[in-house]
Amino acid sequence: MENEKKIRKENVKAAVFRFAPLGGLILLFGIFMALAVIKDINIPYSFKNIVNQSVVVVVAATGAVFIYTLGSFDISLGASLCVSALIGAMAYNATKSLPVMLLTCVGVAVLISLTSSVLASVFNLPVFVTTIAMLSLLSALALVLIGANGTGDVIQVPAAAVRGINNVWFKLIILAVYLGMCVFLFDFMKLGRREKFQGGNPVCAKLTGLNGKRLAIAAFAIAGVGVGLGAFLTITYAPTLSRNTASSVGMDIIISIVFGGMPVSGGARSKIYSAVIGALSMTMLNQIMLALSLDSGVGQIVKAIIFLLVVSISMSNSKGNILPR
Amino acid sequence: MTRTVEIKNMSKRFGPTVALDNVSFEAHGGEILGLIGENGSGKSTATSIFAGMQRCDSGEMLFEGKAWSPVSMTDALNKGVGMIVQESGTVAGISVAENIFLGETKDFRKGLFIDRKRMIEEAQKALDGIGADHIRADAVTGTLDFQDRKLTEIAKVMVKAPRVLVVDETTTALSQKGRDIIYTIMNRMKEEGKTVIFISHDLDEIMEKCDRLTVLRDGKIIRTFEKNEFDPDAIRTSMIGREIEGSYYRADYGEETGKEIVLRAEGLCLGDQLKDLSFELHAGEILGVGGLSHCGMHTLGKVLFGAEKAEKGSFTVKGKAVRNEAEAMRLGIGYVAKDRDTESLCTEASIKDNIAVAGLDRFAVKNFLILPGKEKQYVNEQVQALSIKCRNADQYVSALSGGNKQKVAFGKWTGRRSEILILDCPTRGVDIGVKQAMYRLMDRIRKEGRSVLLISEELAELIGMSDRLLIMKDGRLEKEFKRDPELTEADVIRCMI
Repeated sequence: MENEKKIRKENVKAAVFRFAPLGGLILLFGIFMALAVIKDINIPYSFKNIVNQSVVVVVAATGAVFIYTLGSFDISLGASLCVSALIGAMAYNATKSLPVMLLTCVGVAVLISLTSSVLASVFNLPVFVTTIAMLSLLSALALVLIGANGTGDVIQVPAAAVRGINNVWFKLIILAVYLGMCVFLFDFMKLGRREKFQGGNPVCAKLTGLNGKRLAIAAFAIAGVGVGLGAFLTITYAPTLSRNTASSVGMDIIISIVFGGMPVSGGARSKIYSAVIGALSMTMLNQIMLALSLDSGVGQIVKAIIFLLVVSISMSNSKGNILPR
Repeated sequence: MTRTVEIKNMSKRFGPTVALDNVSFEAHGGEILGLIGENGSGKSTATSIFAGMQRCDSGEMLFEGKAWSPVSMTDALNKGVGMIVQESGTVAGISVAENIFLGETKDFRKGLFIDRKRMIEEAQKALDGIGADHIRADAVTGTLDFQDRKLTEIAKVMVKAPRVLVVDETTTALSQKGRDIIYTIMNRMKEEGKTVIFISHDLDEIMEKCDRLTVLRDGKIIRTFEKNEFDPDAIRTSMIGREIEGSYYRADYGEETGKEIVLRAEGLCLGDQLKDLSFELHAGEILGVGGLSHCGMHTLGKVLFGAEKAEKGSFTVKGKAVRNEAEAMRLGIGYVAKDRDTESLCTEASIKDNIAVAGLDRFAVKNFLILPGKEKQYVNEQVQALSIKCRNADQYVSALSGGNKQKVAFGKWTGRRSEILILDCPTRGVDIGVKQAMYRLMDRIRKEGRSVLLISEELAELIGMSDRLLIMKDGRLEKEFKRDPELTEADVIRCMI
């Protein structure tokens, strides 16, 4: 009897930890709704804003979960998104074709991701090391592209060209398709299982026949697709691109993933939904701070405190955490 | 004799699992007390609580007559209680000296800097003091093998001159030289009037070394045997609560193995570990490989699984060359490594994750789609077949006892019905009940026409289970023995040394 009670208690505790990020999101949603009623905020407009602000990060971060699951991380995702968007915009301006722009964005982002992972594989380096080098390289490339385009400090797609697809439903469809693909790969295919095992113990994974380099390349390729889609959505929302486009996306991806309950060391406890929950929570938090008219500096401090809190709780719930590889 | 260690009515739970249920025992100065019991019986839990690794839920502890509640292992060690744990407890990326004085570097401060030279000198003295003078204190710990890392840990504990030393299932990981070092330390402490608590699954060893023997089962104290009461059968029965039924090792002699050669190695060379090694493994055969710890046998296991590449020579499985682990698996090879927690298992993943990952191609629909129901069925079959004690297959491996962890490591390969199982020290750190189950499993595999390459440092196991026994020395094949009821450990040892 007492044993059953203990089992129930343990199961409840595990469920609390498992659903804590979702609970956090629901709590933030509740606070936002309460504030919206009190302060008479236009709710449909705010939701549109939430989707517009979060969709790029959600898409890019969902793909990045594959990288984090391996216990690695990519610091160059924001820069990659910027370069993909710039080249995608140039492709549109050359062809006047939205499908070409989409394919270019995705193709460039995948190519950049593959370059990072293949270089790491060739030089036998941890992948995050090559992503640091890629960050510098891509920042320089963005400047070169803008300079070579001869349109001042920006590259622009005519707003009219993307007006038709700059709507919430189109963005949600893109997100749903990509998220569905990632969930399928992560939870229902061999790849996802192997990625999680590789992240949990690379030595044991090797002695179970898993090829760590191939898994890293696959993870980076999937993340590249997400970054490419993010680049496309960025252009639809803000068709004037500069060197600062998506400058905060890289950091937002990292924060969102951790915020959504992803273990910092990756492995078996990784969850594909972390990115969605994390990015929506972050955007909701931003909206709450806006509603409270908080200074942006205060907002950053609040975010930093919540970030530390989330990481410390997630680490206290799992033994043997290690720094990212 | 003075009571140095007193544990009274200690209880401890891990979630719903009762690890210790009102446990009381004591150990005296000038005594070696043995603790024995099946995996998960509570031996390590009780001693690790006394050594400051964790806290009990209730109960009382006394050390040298005074209330004892260390806040950490370092605290306990500084106050006179040291423990050498079963698995590796060193940090790989730093030097041996830094491991020995981990957290103590302030003692070597010279102004703003650390006097590394003095630290290395002191560490070398500590290593020399326990008889491990072959280890260089300035070496990077990660470059050492399992045994030398374990000896580094021993030096780290002994440098503090503890008055109570807990040796938790350490010796089975060591060669005879390593064991001798620990035995010397234990005997010296006993002569100095200090206390040793010795945990081991090796009944012969524990009966020889200990003055008293306390048996635990399912978190309870079952009985304490005085030296004059030591009787192997009585101790075994106390441990598992029933008499061991049937024979422990294989009882058959003279049975023919299959004629088909499933694995052929020719002229394998790799550094000083493998020197021109050639042999064949037949279908339905258990081929034992033994020798001293550094003879190259562990490297052989890795090479045959494709995890390390031989510099010269070749080996084929059913006529096909093996270049890497994935190919080895495709050709039906399974490999249970010696270093269980690092190489065989992902301890922070569930039982399901560990077993399923090796058998994805067995249950994935069209070899890519994973249906949760099929995965669960596949894993549960292994959990039941191997009698893995767990709440359910979603339980994390880190929460299992050593024996059950080892069963999970087996389950990875038995699930995919590997045709050739390479088992490196498969019964290290497991109790006699689990050992017997594993021996029966090996025998069943043999009878089904599959093959086992059994690498072991336990001669009794090799002699008792193998159809043929290869003895390696300094990387070379020294001698081959055929299965024979007259074969003794002495015959084998003569070739090893």
